[in-house]
Amino acid sequence: MRASVLAALTLLGAAAGPAPAQQARGWALLVGHSYSSARALTQPATLVVEGERGAPLYTVLDAGALVRGPLADRAWVEAGLRARAGSARTPAQRLYGAMARAYTELDPVLVALGGEYLTDGAFAMRQPAATAEVTPLGGVPGLGTWIGPDVRFRWRPWLGVSWGGGARPYARLSAEYVSGRVEAGVEGTSWLVEGRGCGFVQGDLSVRLAGGLYATASGDAGRSPPRFEPAGRLGIGLGFRLDTTH
Amino acid sequence: MRRKDDRGHRWTDTGVERAVIRIVRRLSPGWARRKITRRTRLHADLGWDDWYPLRLARPIRTTLHVRPDDRTLLALRTVGDVVADVWGRMAPL
Repeated sequence: MRASVLAALTLLGAAAGPAPAQQARGWALLVGHSYSSARALTQPATLVVEGERGAPLYTVLDAGALVRGPLADRAWVEAGLRARAGSARTPAQRLYGAMARAYTELDPVLVALGGEYLTDGAFAMRQPAATAEVTPLGGVPGLGTWIGPDVRFRWRPWLGVSWGGGARPYARLSAEYVSGRVEAGVEGTSWLVEGRGCGFVQGDLSVRLAGGLYATASGDAGRSPPRFEPAGRLGIGLGFRLDTTH
Repeated sequence: MRRKDDRGHRWTDTGVERAVIRIVRRLSPGWARRKITRRTRLHADLGWDDWYPLRLARPIRTTLHVRPDDRTLLALRTVGDVVADVWGRMAPL
């Protein structure tokens, strides 16, 4: 039977935040599960080491980092890196990505335009793509903000299209719930790929231990870019999250 | 001490605070008015996500007649920060 043991992520410490007016002109660093969405950034990055008697140790890494800064009074830019890796995954199941995107607020919606480069672990499937996404800023209970002090649940939808070897429309819905030190979240994305639908869901349940350190159970299932091949995993480990903006 | 907004209307610091709290209250309808103070944290207490503070822009423009920029709104942490930012954009009399 495979036993799971965990190792911690060693990452940067958060510096004390500057005053808001100064911070508004500066840049922010965010570290989380992935840069793929705001929800993924609030999910801790995890490194899991799995041991099995008579076999070498396996690792599973899910991490992303994002730098966000101003572009103009009503626009800002982000650049990020992400990795879904580890020896427990086959090269085809691994994913490395880099992206840059710019946002602008066109009240009542937020628009994001960007470019992303994805590759699998074998570098056999490389996919540069341009993306356009839109989300409403709010206006419906729970959209972008907790429903109330006793119902700490919020959600956010995104609609987008990716161009890279053809146009690929997609829809993403993320939701999260917080109760004391416990945080739970789920994010689902559906793509239309060559006339058929592909979906990918990832979820997590985390308990805050101290600061940005969490005990995290996370899992994912479905088909995701660039290969859109079926995959899934479930694991527990230590997670780390950093957000210098809040 | 009073200041004036872009249309020349005169405001006190407490008047700006009351107006900002009314705006925040409208954007967080599940919260009681008395629960929202200058110390209330937009993300940690009210649960606003990364983009929700952008909803402050329009009501601040229409009610307080100043123009906050988006990058500032995204960096504000508390209701008091919003009050201070709006107050700082008003001209001394």
